Amino acid sequence: MVPPEWYLLLAAGVFCIGLFGVLTRRDALYFLMSVELMMNAANINFVAFALYYGDLTGQVFALFVIALAAAEVAIGIGIILVLYRNFGDTDVTVPTEMRW
Amino acid sequence: MSEHVPLWTALLPVLILGVTGLALLLVDTIRPNARSNTTLSVVSALGALASLAVTVWFVAEGTGDVSTGGAIYLFADAIKVDTLALFFTAIFASVTALVVVAAHDYFDDHDSPAAFYSLTVFAATGMALLAVANSLAVVFVALEMVSLPSYALVAYLKKNRGSVEAGLKYFLIGALSSAIFVFGISLVYAATGSLIFSDVAAEIESLEGLAGVAGIGIAMIIGGVAFKTASVPFHFWAPEAYEGAPAPVSAFLSSASKAAGFVVAFRVFTEAFPIGASLVADVNWVLAFGVLAAVTMTVGNFAAAVQENVKRMLAYSSIGHAGYALIGLGALSGSAAGDSAVMGAAMAHLLVYGFMNTGAFLFVAMAERWGVGRTFEDYAGLARRAPIACTAMAVFMFSLAGLPPFAGFFSKYVLFMGAIDNGFVWLAAVGAINSVISLYYYSRVVKAMFLDDPESSSTLDTVDSRPTALYAAVVFAAVATLLLLPGFGPVIETAEAAASALF
Repeated sequence: MVPPEWYLLLAAGVFCIGLFGVLTRRDALYFLMSVELMMNAANINFVAFALYYGDLTGQVFALFVIALAAAEVAIGIGIILVLYRNFGDTDVTVPTEMRW
Repeated sequence: MSEHVPLWTALLPVLILGVTGLALLLVDTIRPNARSNTTLSVVSALGALASLAVTVWFVAEGTGDVSTGGAIYLFADAIKVDTLALFFTAIFASVTALVVVAAHDYFDDHDSPAAFYSLTVFAATGMALLAVANSLAVVFVALEMVSLPSYALVAYLKKNRGSVEAGLKYFLIGALSSAIFVFGISLVYAATGSLIFSDVAAEIESLEGLAGVAGIGIAMIIGGVAFKTASVPFHFWAPEAYEGAPAPVSAFLSSASKAAGFVVAFRVFTEAFPIGASLVADVNWVLAFGVLAAVTMTVGNFAAAVQENVKRMLAYSSIGHAGYALIGLGALSGSAAGDSAVMGAAMAHLLVYGFMNTGAFLFVAMAERWGVGRTFEDYAGLARRAPIACTAMAVFMFSLAGLPPFAGFFSKYVLFMGAIDNGFVWLAAVGAINSVISLYYYSRVVKAMFLDDPESSSTLDTVDSRPTALYAAVVFAAVATLLLLPGFGPVIETAEAAASALF
């Protein structure tokens, strides 16, 4: 059996790739994909440690996270759609109506 | 509650809100082409009030209280109904009722108001569910159930560039923070093998190899909570979202959604990561929240002081008030009596804040409806045309500032005294200094409305309509703010009793 530390490393790696994407990409669609990676990193942990502890909670919760991530993308795509209609672009740095 | 009543009835406040949301969809399905604005508003207001009534009845009966057999656990301990949950549900239901009544006039000429009402009520259901969560899984699901409708609500005015921009920014930061939050939960699960609060707490005590993993997880969960409560360093979305969103939505988010963030914070950190256990994982969250509280109120109040736009000023002031409420977590000393006093005071402050802040944002909604501008200058002389509404606004402003004869003074006073009793004089001092600063910008609104002259006699001619429902909501919020003066004793007692169950 693969030792659990390896799963933690894999999940942390995937999470950091997602975070890197969030911080560097300007397109809202890439942003959505990156956030999805971060959530799937959490799923890796849940599934791996559900196996490690012999406990189903983690696996079931991973399914919940997948469903919620899909719902979040649905809302996100809707907002990106109205963003495109109003600003003609999906670049997140374009809308600057408000400034502090 | 008596023996023969099934246990699930303890969830009635949540269920009523959920059923109301479904009923709203039904109304819209039966008559999809009719704009049943009034019907929808009445149905959602009745649902919210029914939920509030049941909640108050449960509190009076002592459901889930220590005196009647303790908290009620449901669904294999994933749900826990106690006085703390009911107290926060009362805040959510009251704010929802005020907002949906006010929305009747605000969305009077909108094409499809049905979505607004159902999204608001579903978000309120999520908040009520958040209050009874006893497992990190329920916390995450309920948190998303609050967040997803909120994103759509902020971007509700699809053709308004400000609203869309606000929705985008709220969504981007919200999605990022919920990803961080769920990764934090997964690390806690990896270290402890459980998601139920009490099991997590027991496991963390005996951690050895994976203590660092749990520590990182707890830190990430602090980040997720900071986003939901609009605290530094995750507050950047708040001014944008509150300014761009339709004003009733701003009222809903800044009062109810913020309180929802706090109920998670209070529960998760006292029950799942009690401070003794957290120190095993090298996380001193009392210190973290103390610093966050001080920085949040300072940032919020100083930024609010330099705003020209009233709505944006209120947005920053709501960040400042998040800082005050964070004292409830940042000033815990480890003595059960002192801790429940300061956390109870923070809960009472959130209840008072729910009324005064909702009222203030609804006044801005009324000004938007009239079409007067958004800056302090645009409000000049408004009291001549709308004296009742402006008097109500003055009550909100002075209460938010914490002036003595208003409810906001009592809640702040008890909060700061609790911090001092627990030995956190520095936190109370920072809070008091910030309250003085806040008086400056709150009184600017009152000065503009009552003392300043309008630019020309014709500028106030837009104030021609009397939006009845909006008026009713604003006046009712003002009356509630005033009634909490004599009623503050029972409120603070309930809050402290509810908080004492956590320690």
